[in-house]
Amino acid sequence: MTPLLKIENTVSGYDEADVLAGVSLDVAEREITCLLGANGAGKTTLIRTLLGLNPIRSGKVFFKTTEITGWPTHEIVRLGITCVPEGRRVFPAMTVLENLRMGGYLNESKSDISERLDYAFTIFPKLKERVGQLAGTMSGGEQAMLTIARGLMGNPELIIFDEPSLGLSPLFVKENFRVIQEINGQGISVLLVEQNVRQTLAISHVGHVLAQGKIITSGNTETLRESDALKAAYFGG
Amino acid sequence: MDLGFLAQFFVNGLVLGVIYALVAVGFTLFFGVLDVIKFSHGDVLMLGAFTALATYLGLSDIGVAPGVALILVFVAGIAGMAFVGAIVCKFLVLPLRGAPQLNTLLITLMFGTVIRESVRLFYPSGSNPKPFPKLLPDNAFEFGNLTLRLDSCIIVLLGILAIIFTQLFIQKTKFGLAIRAVAQDEETARLMGVNFKTVVLLTFALGSALAAVGGISTGLYYQEINFAMGLMLGLIGFSSAVLGGLGSLYGAIAGGFLFAALQTVGAVWFAVPAYKDVFAFAVVIMLMAWRPTGLLAERNEERV
Repeated sequence: MTPLLKIENTVSGYDEADVLAGVSLDVAEREITCLLGANGAGKTTLIRTLLGLNPIRSGKVFFKTTEITGWPTHEIVRLGITCVPEGRRVFPAMTVLENLRMGGYLNESKSDISERLDYAFTIFPKLKERVGQLAGTMSGGEQAMLTIARGLMGNPELIIFDEPSLGLSPLFVKENFRVIQEINGQGISVLLVEQNVRQTLAISHVGHVLAQGKIITSGNTETLRESDALKAAYFGG
Repeated sequence: MDLGFLAQFFVNGLVLGVIYALVAVGFTLFFGVLDVIKFSHGDVLMLGAFTALATYLGLSDIGVAPGVALILVFVAGIAGMAFVGAIVCKFLVLPLRGAPQLNTLLITLMFGTVIRESVRLFYPSGSNPKPFPKLLPDNAFEFGNLTLRLDSCIIVLLGILAIIFTQLFIQKTKFGLAIRAVAQDEETARLMGVNFKTVVLLTFALGSALAAVGGISTGLYYQEINFAMGLMLGLIGFSSAVLGGLGSLYGAIAGGFLFAALQTVGAVWFAVPAYKDVFAFAVVIMLMAWRPTGLLAERNEERV
């Protein structure tokens, strides 16, 4: 079966330096695929590259059977890819409702938008109480909820989460991972990029470990958990 | 000094304030979406006024009624400058992304000079001031020392309508939502599916269309335009936007009216009209020393 997302030999970086030295990775349909790696391994660069925010230097990216290498970002996300970016990037001067509307920017169907709004509010009832609040004035945990809810407003087949646990309290992290699992249960494929090994492996089907711009090991989560390469990626051992 | 006399100054200041606010809103929009200063803005305003004038002369040749001509003059100026604004953005501003912002400032400053000198050289006897047609009814109402001209009222009303339209467009439409998204976080906006270039081009078109309204209003008010009118109006509009807090829509509007108020106070105070600009700019300098980021300072979460 063709994977939903296929990344082949991707090289990318900033200025003179290559950050990714030929990364290949597949995301299968309906699965949670995780990408683990320590700080500076190139995880965010990989996401930025496949979404067209960073220019690709060589390699190819496919979504289903369409090659999307070098496409502008707005064309890529139109295919049904949503990204929940790192660092709770809400639109700070917009209300919660406006942020959610931005998430449904490409969704032309008004009835679908209101259905998705209801769905987002059932997952995060707290957001419903805050529809009129400016997103910039919410707490970090609430902003994290909002970015996830916003990501659900389109009609995604694939959601990419870039470090959803970063900087959140353990309680919020647990809640976020539960939500990610629930979203996956709706049939949406997930690429989960994380540093948090234990909890990530607990909900993923397949994993890849990135270190110094290369995938050093891949496999199902049981084998990865025991993998020495995974430990090496984090502890340099 | 009697009340009617002061009211007269107030009304005159109001007309200027609307015009300045129209120019300042453009500066703030450009800065909002791209963090750039487009210094050809004043000369685009002048070009808008000349486009309107040329359109009027063409229309009066074929005998179009003045009422219809008034509408067509505005349409031509607005559409023409929206187009010029988008072109400037596409070929002079967007390609310079990634270069220091100073380069954008310089290149648009030079382009403004090209527009200005081209009008001077190629518009028939373009170096002389041109009479601008009286297209608005010039009925006047006398209240003691106050003469309220109907055309002044219409200019103020039109300008305020243009500003309200811009505000509603940005706050209420999906496209306006995209403009605000780009201003607040360009990358995340792109991730939501916003076509960044289209949004930026249309924002520049919108800002430049407002400059055209400002230019035509200036022509209608003074009944005279000249090729260099954009220099001072551009500078005042830019100062107003910075005074209010560059990037903030309300700041730009407030800055425009404040600058006009300062000029008016200067004119009343010194009784020599020529001193009004010296006074206004001197106060602006002091205000900026006091509040370096503008009176309604842009906080990150408040942009456009």
